[in-house]
Amino acid sequence: MGLFNSTVLDVAIGLVFVYLLLAILCTAANEWLAALTKTRAKFLKKGLMQLLDNQPTSKDGSPDEFIKEFFLHPLITGMMKDDKDPAYLSARTFAAVVTDLVTAYSPAKGVNTTDEAGNSSDKAIADLERGLMAIPPGDVQRVLSALIKHSTGDLPKTQEALEAWFNDAMDRVTGWYKRRTQVWTLIVAILITVVANADTISIARRLWTDPVMRSAVVEQAKVRAQKPPPSVTIEYPDPDDPANPQVTTNEGNVLSDQEREVLGQVLGWHDGVLHDQNGIRWSGRVWLGRLIGWLLTVLALSLGAPFWFDLLNKFINIRSAGKSPDEKAKGPEKENVPAKA
Amino acid sequence: MNSMKRFSAALLIGVLACSPLVCLADQTLSLTKDFVNQVKDRATVSTDLQVDVHPQTPHSVVEKAEDGDIHMAGRDNVIKLPLVAEILNARFEKDTMQFLNQISDGQSVSVTGVWRIWFEHPGPGQVQNQPVPVPTSSNPDHVFELHPITRFGTFDCLDSFLNITNPNVSPPKVYKAYSATTAFGEYKNLQVAIKATSTRVFLATAKTGFNYTEFVMELAGKPKDMGDSFMVMAHIYDSQNLEEPVVETMHRMVFVKGSPPAVQIQGLKKGATLHVLGIPRVNLKEVMAVANKHGANEIVVPLPYELIIVAVLPE
Repeated sequence: MGLFNSTVLDVAIGLVFVYLLLAILCTAANEWLAALTKTRAKFLKKGLMQLLDNQPTSKDGSPDEFIKEFFLHPLITGMMKDDKDPAYLSARTFAAVVTDLVTAYSPAKGVNTTDEAGNSSDKAIADLERGLMAIPPGDVQRVLSALIKHSTGDLPKTQEALEAWFNDAMDRVTGWYKRRTQVWTLIVAILITVVANADTISIARRLWTDPVMRSAVVEQAKVRAQKPPPSVTIEYPDPDDPANPQVTTNEGNVLSDQEREVLGQVLGWHDGVLHDQNGIRWSGRVWLGRLIGWLLTVLALSLGAPFWFDLLNKFINIRSAGKSPDEKAKGPEKENVPAKA
Repeated sequence: MNSMKRFSAALLIGVLACSPLVCLADQTLSLTKDFVNQVKDRATVSTDLQVDVHPQTPHSVVEKAEDGDIHMAGRDNVIKLPLVAEILNARFEKDTMQFLNQISDGQSVSVTGVWRIWFEHPGPGQVQNQPVPVPTSSNPDHVFELHPITRFGTFDCLDSFLNITNPNVSPPKVYKAYSATTAFGEYKNLQVAIKATSTRVFLATAKTGFNYTEFVMELAGKPKDMGDSFMVMAHIYDSQNLEEPVVETMHRMVFVKGSPPAVQIQGLKKGATLHVLGIPRVNLKEVMAVANKHGANEIVVPLPYELIIVAVLPE
């Protein structure tokens, strides 16, 4: 019997399978947390605040007047569900709302002057400029004036520049969101690992010494390997906006009852919390072992479910390919499975 | 092997499993994030292409790879990947063909074309910004194409966005594209591993093909002006079965401004249908969305793709 058709490989498969299930739990917990804390919407709002705050719209008005008006604009309120701030905003909508809000302050909106007898684009840019002059000094006024100047007074170019300004800010928002997600992923991984006592060394030892458990875990691992990989779904919440896809974790990331049962057997505080099976408190050496075991698990979970799924499939394939003719005839697990009562 | 050694071997496998090197092994295309962000919502890219190798005459017009295009392999200083540029319906572009056949090997020509990433001719060395070897054939290993070309030198090629035809035979020979059922059946089974670092995006997927497909698209929203194109979300049907879409999800359709299909898409509303000829390409907007969410963690997802609409076909 070779290395890759032995208990060693089954223990490795068991470990990879446990990592996969825990990583799926981590992903689900992160998604749940993001939805609960409305993180996306908060980050979007924070990004918009950076762009649009410090802009009063009336003399002696407060610096947040413009951003408040922004969130009350029908194009924005139309995207709110149950009065909750939107989690996504397209650059086009942003540019449209900002120009509409500023233009509304133009004292002569839509009125033609003799030197503006050009097309509607010229009139619109003139209205925008008059609106900018009508509002008190502030960040939006300064930025928009610069963009108009840079775009040589061309409305489509100004709107493009406005969209680019928004997109740059959203790149930063994406960065904040990603960093926050990474931090939360780590926190969730630590919580799950410690609460479930998912100590890699203990799990490996348990799988090594308990052939019944090892066999049950490998069986479930084989079932999991047949399932679709944990993946994501890409959707467009607004079919009118082909530039705004959303990525969500797909429904395949769900643990079956059997998998939960396996996790329950492999993980947990079976010997009592902070005590060994004889009721003796953990020594410093045991603590150190646990900490290393937990750390290994946290590191493993940080690699994500798709990684472990891929690896599980590779190991299962090696296991299937490495069977001796005798074992193939006997069936997949007979070698290690004692008769069950 | 004693028990302790075997236990150590098990742990070693566990540690090896943690190594990200395991997932790096499959990478076949590496793009810079700057480039991806630059083109993800655009239809075309402009560059100065050093045309190294090209045949004198276009492909014949029959089916599959006999698609009436003319290939040219070359190097450039914008895309910086092994690349091939293709003129659609090259028999209609007589002046352009004459110019192409007059230029010397390695001559630089200003080219604008629809960027296209598709893993039809994958091979080693698909790493952006690495030195690109001089191609020795008009179809070297590549995953990046300028296909179709919209401007070659001073020659406008947008009028080549028509159903692929050989007008030089009587009656004119029309290209037989893959049916939607066949082509989209292939596309929807493709998977790609996506992974990102702070500066790069890595894509690894299986080799594929099915370049031209004819299908009926039903607009799911209104066309959006994206600068050099109109893009619209649409459901996809086989022209022989308009009852049920061939794929469950809607996909992004790209209409290059100034091309005959782009003229037809303007003003169409949600629910309108068009019978079209399309070329698939990787949807980098979706790739970046996935990369932004998962970053350094490699994730395998169904290949995000969109369709470049190169002709509107009769109903």
